[in-house]
Amino acid sequence: MAGLRVIEGGRAGAPARGAGLPPGLLAELYEKHAAQVYGRCRWLLRDEHEARDALQEVFVKALRSLDDFRGAASPTTWLLKIATNHCLNALRAKKAAFREQLEAVQAVRKQDTEPPERRELVRMLLGAAPPEAQEVAVLYYVDELTQAEIAETLGRSLPTVRKRLREFIAAAREALRTAMPGIELPEGDEP
Amino acid sequence: MRVDLGGPGPSCSAMRVRRLAAGELAGAEGERVARHVAECARCQAVQRGIAQEKTELARAVPFEAFAAGVAEKLALAPRRRATRVLRWAAPLAAAAAVALVAGAALVHRPLAEDGAGPRAAQFGVRSKGGASAQLFVQDGRGVRELGVAEPVPPGARLQIVLHPSGRKYAAAVLLEPGEATALYSGPAVQGALPQSFEWTGAGQATLLLVLADTPVIAERIHTRADTPAGADVVQVSLRR
Repeated sequence: MAGLRVIEGGRAGAPARGAGLPPGLLAELYEKHAAQVYGRCRWLLRDEHEARDALQEVFVKALRSLDDFRGAASPTTWLLKIATNHCLNALRAKKAAFREQLEAVQAVRKQDTEPPERRELVRMLLGAAPPEAQEVAVLYYVDELTQAEIAETLGRSLPTVRKRLREFIAAAREALRTAMPGIELPEGDEP
Repeated sequence: MRVDLGGPGPSCSAMRVRRLAAGELAGAEGERVARHVAECARCQAVQRGIAQEKTELARAVPFEAFAAGVAEKLALAPRRRATRVLRWAAPLAAAAAVALVAGAALVHRPLAEDGAGPRAAQFGVRSKGGASAQLFVQDGRGVRELGVAEPVPPGARLQIVLHPSGRKYAAAVLLEPGEATALYSGPAVQGALPQSFEWTGAGQATLLLVLADTPVIAERIHTRADTPAGADVVQVSLRR
């Protein structure tokens, strides 16, 4: 007689008992948070396979820091911060060519009178900015946290957050001037 | 042309909408944000974006693939950090627990291969251009690597994870003396097969995994010689 049987419950198998983590934790994390983490990874990495991998890595980090995750004032903010950092690091590691992307978008736009989509423009401008300013820019322009909220989330001072935003804006202006002539940011060095 | 990159508005914040959707805003704050969102086109656009993200996740990363991938990374990462065992002791405990929840303990298992027949792939070793696979083993003692000669514990779950490396089709067959049991025929999924298994037999058996560019029918494989020419074949000895 063949000695193999399918375990009920599919690939996940029957619910485990006595595990160190509450049963269903992973399902709960998936239901509540995975979509936005995956969305963030897709937006930054622009590659479905890499985004899928990044999604899993982010939750591995969360599970390894479960106390921090659970103790966070906002698990959503905590996870998106981790996801953003993870993806920005991955992009830096492979030296993603943001500038070429800007120029490619400009080439396609040609005489368009419509500006590029706001979030896409932010994403492409990230690479022009110093690493420390990139994360702050995502939290400000995409997640729409206030500067005070960013300071609290990153554990930095408010002046440091302001400085990073100014760095991002200065770098973005310069990148637009050379890669997308005709597109300008509003005056002033503060958002 | 001037472009405003955006940022938080006086009452609007994408993160607040996300937190509301995740149930993180309770009481008066939750009610205030919900009232604002109900009247704010900008925040409603964020809500639609969140709904779209959920649709996209369900399409691209169903829960089972997510759980198997997370469990695999939890179990594999300590191998890459072997010199930091003490520092990772606590996280490893969590990793094992999650692997239990996910039902997928990850094990790189050396292949007992005979080198004959079609191109032989190895467990845990990716041959140049070839597919490979991993065997996930889980029992009541948690996550551990099963040695080459170690018997499969009674009741242990076996989970096969494929790394097709471009191969499109896969089949899995259990070969026992005088009998072959088809376990899987279908797409060469990147990751875990749809079912985990328990080996209830005794003595010795061979788990044969075939990855090919054309459909492979597991029911037609009764010995290794039945595997298609040019296929990657992973062969694992099971003993009890």
